[in-house]
Amino acid sequence: MLILSRKTGESVVIDGRIIVKIVRLDGDLVKVGIEAPSDVPVHRQEVYDEIQKANREAVTQNRPRTLPKLPQHPVRGV
Amino acid sequence: MSTVVETPQVKTLTVRLPLGLLGFEHIKSYWLISNAEEEPFAWLQVPDEGDLAFLVVPPAAVLPDYAPNLSNDDVSFLGVEGPEDVVIYNIVTIRPDGSSSVNLKGPIVINRHTMIGKQVVLANSPYPIQHPLGSA
Repeated sequence: MLILSRKTGESVVIDGRIIVKIVRLDGDLVKVGIEAPSDVPVHRQEVYDEIQKANREAVTQNRPRTLPKLPQHPVRGV
Repeated sequence: MSTVVETPQVKTLTVRLPLGLLGFEHIKSYWLISNAEEEPFAWLQVPDEGDLAFLVVPPAAVLPDYAPNLSNDDVSFLGVEGPEDVVIYNIVTIRPDGSSSVNLKGPIVINRHTMIGKQVVLANSPYPIQHPLGSA
């Protein structure tokens, strides 16, 4: 892993199109600003890991015969 | 040109996910297969990959008030202007013990005009990744 020292307000440029800026330090909290094109997904790692795990658990090769039961919604707008 | 089985009971649409699903980034194109007998459930199937598929459901069938907030980046990526331009599906997990849940935190949002979609991550929302459904 490349490790760089940066001061608040300083940035790193990745691939000429992604800018990672150290916005603020507050104790052990670092505020990072990221500018990336919309085709570059940026996620908090723990959220990314959770959704990736959920997707891997959901994918199937065997179609179940019975599908889950859906909630019966009360009539709305009455 | 793909050939798809089409009967009055089964409807198949092609959905492009240019960024893939999280963990499945290499798969950019899916068939969205709805079978009248299984509605409102549908299948997001990987073409030419055996039977690899995700069970999906429109959120209205689970949580009528579901209203995910899309980021500006998501809106511009999808090229949509308002809720009327999108169709949303959420991925369902069925476990070996028969329990099941639906992922409300990572919906698949599709531009209904272009059929280009994205798995959106609602990082700051209260929606859970595992919203329980009734047993199969």
